[in-house]
Amino acid sequence: MPDASSAAVELRDVVKRFGDVVAVDHVSLRIAPGEFFALLGPSGSGKTTTLRMIGGFELPTEGEVLIEGEPQGYKPPYQRPVNTVFQNYALFPHMTVAQNIAFGLEMRGVPKEEIRRRVSEMLDLVRLSGYERRRPHQLSGGEQQRVALARALINRPKVLLLDEPLGALDLKLRKAMQLELKAIQEQVGITFIYVTHDQEEAITMANRIAVMNKGKVLQVGTPQEVYEQPQTFFVADFIGDTNFLPVQVMQVTAPVEVMTESGTRLTASWAEPTLRTGVKAVMAVRPERMHLYRPGSGPEGPEWNRVEGIIRQVIYKGLDIRYEVFVAGECSLHVRMPVGRSEGTFQRGEHVIVAWPRAAARVFRSES
Amino acid sequence: MNELLQRKPGLRAWLLLAPSFLWLLIFFIIPLGIIVVYSFLERDLYGGVVWKWTLENYRRVFDPLYFKTFLYSLWIAFLTAFFSLLFGYPLAYYIATRPEKTRNALVLALMIPFWTNFLVRTYAWLTLLRTNTGLINVWLQEWGIIDHPLPLFGNTFAITLGLVYGWMPDMILPIYAALEQLDRSLLEAAEDLYASGWQVFRRVIWPLSLPGVIAGTMLVFIPSLGAFVTPAILGGGKRLMIGNVITNQFLGAHDWPFGSALSVLMMAVMLLATLIYFRTGGEEARRGGLG
Ligand SMILES: Nc1ncnc2c1ncn2[C@@H]1O[C@H](COP(=O)(O)OP(=O)(O)O)[C@@H](O)[C@H]1O
Ligand SMILES: [Mg+2]
Repeated sequence: MPDASSAAVELRDVVKRFGDVVAVDHVSLRIAPGEFFALLGPSGSGKTTTLRMIGGFELPTEGEVLIEGEPQGYKPPYQRPVNTVFQNYALFPHMTVAQNIAFGLEMRGVPKEEIRRRVSEMLDLVRLSGYERRRPHQLSGGEQQRVALARALINRPKVLLLDEPLGALDLKLRKAMQLELKAIQEQVGITFIYVTHDQEEAITMANRIAVMNKGKVLQVGTPQEVYEQPQTFFVADFIGDTNFLPVQVMQVTAPVEVMTESGTRLTASWAEPTLRTGVKAVMAVRPERMHLYRPGSGPEGPEWNRVEGIIRQVIYKGLDIRYEVFVAGECSLHVRMPVGRSEGTFQRGEHVIVAWPRAAARVFRSES
Repeated sequence: MNELLQRKPGLRAWLLLAPSFLWLLIFFIIPLGIIVVYSFLERDLYGGVVWKWTLENYRRVFDPLYFKTFLYSLWIAFLTAFFSLLFGYPLAYYIATRPEKTRNALVLALMIPFWTNFLVRTYAWLTLLRTNTGLINVWLQEWGIIDHPLPLFGNTFAITLGLVYGWMPDMILPIYAALEQLDRSLLEAAEDLYASGWQVFRRVIWPLSLPGVIAGTMLVFIPSLGAFVTPAILGGGKRLMIGNVITNQFLGAHDWPFGSALSVLMMAVMLLATLIYFRTGGEEARRGGLG
């Protein structure tokens, strides 16, 4: 973690209420200079509100927003060293691409000659040279998105705020723009705070992710951390695919032990600290960490979990094969195995052993 | 018949439109044609026409006596449009920025005056403005604020006031419609890009509301140019507009050809104003007031 003086943006115990609605609930964050930081969460989780408080479009009900160590207080947006790429781009429909991009510099009274130079630099950066005289409605969604980006970046903000900037684009274009945006961020070296509800997008692009739900930040970490070491059921469920097995907690100190409803004992690497022996919980395991074996084979020992099941469905995906395995009296498990393993492929209806290592299993308080 | 309609879908559309066309033809096109034809004929002594072609009527239009009235009407129409815009725009902006419920109530409030006949409402102004017996002057004198009655009646002020009062809703509504559609995130974007309050207005709000301003201006300018009720009542017989002259040619002087010529000229001016205004206004809207 960066030290106090080097945070580009810091939120200290920030709360935002709209009447009775608590949109943002005691959020504290520290975002380092140059970071690509994602706010990830489902719709209504308070991401936009958090971003708008950093930008100065909303003021916190409680707490404090600091930019480069400086408390922002009641400062309006134009007095903050940040710029925003809005959710629907908010391009000025009556201005050309060049006029849109020049707007910020013009408002600050930058000399015409310099504006011209910097606009053409920006057009190069976002690969829109030659589009100067077009109007927003003559551009595709992806092009509009790049104009919005250029219009914000030309002001050389310390921090760029982006609210679901790729939300309106189709999947293919979104994938392409993800890479492009990431490349641009690395090139200009500006801190990006990026709001998205798409966990894959956050994982692809961000250096760090804050996972939000119901106004709270549940976990902050690198994509690998939030994917491999989720701290709550919500995070495990929201990010990536996960198998959840209903279990009862037997032992909460390492090695964590649980028992399935049919009495199979399983072991996990970690259990949520608030869990107590005897309570109901869920064990979470990623599909790719589970392996299939023919009955009587496969790894055994205290480090391994094994359950028996029947293959119910086989889906060939090219790189891997996805199996749905029915475990009698328990649940269905999704297992993802790379193509070309020595066991060969399994057939529908076959009896199998599903095995996964202790390290791949985490136990959570089940939600609700 | 049915078969015919199915084979020619265009025919069905024509049949459906026919009543409207007939209506327009009988009550709009034909009277307009009659007026144009009459304007080139001579009058007879009993209010009819003599079928002899002449340009005399159009020569008389440019007689200083009438032409001055014409210019005066243009001036009044301009003043009315100007003040309607000056007062109407802020009001439209105010309404458009209220919460939805308040907005609808305020728009409804704008309509309420229309429930009373325009003539009645104009007479109401008369009782307020009249020089010696008008309520405003009476009260101001009673309270000792003024010694002599203010010239509130029978002048340009009274006519313009009456017209602004009458036509301002037609200015407010299209501007309101344009402002209400304005995407609020555009204002936030401008603010984010260092625009001051005035600059946000000048560079974003105003250009994007221009279509409403143009529509509103035309909706006020054109009826004001042809007004005759308001100047007849509030002009106190001293100030006439072209509408009064035309009315008089038809009803008083029984000179239909000359009245027609004046009407044709007025319509030509309205058409010209509309064309110029939409051309330049449209251009301005497209450029967004940028150099
Ligand atoms: N201006 C507002 N007035 C009232 N409630 C609001 C306002 N803005 C956001 N909210 C509420 O705050 C919560 C969080 O909203 P938001 O920050 O937009 O979430 P997200 O961007 O994650 O979808 C939602 O319940 C939303 O309805
Ligand atoms: Mg949002």
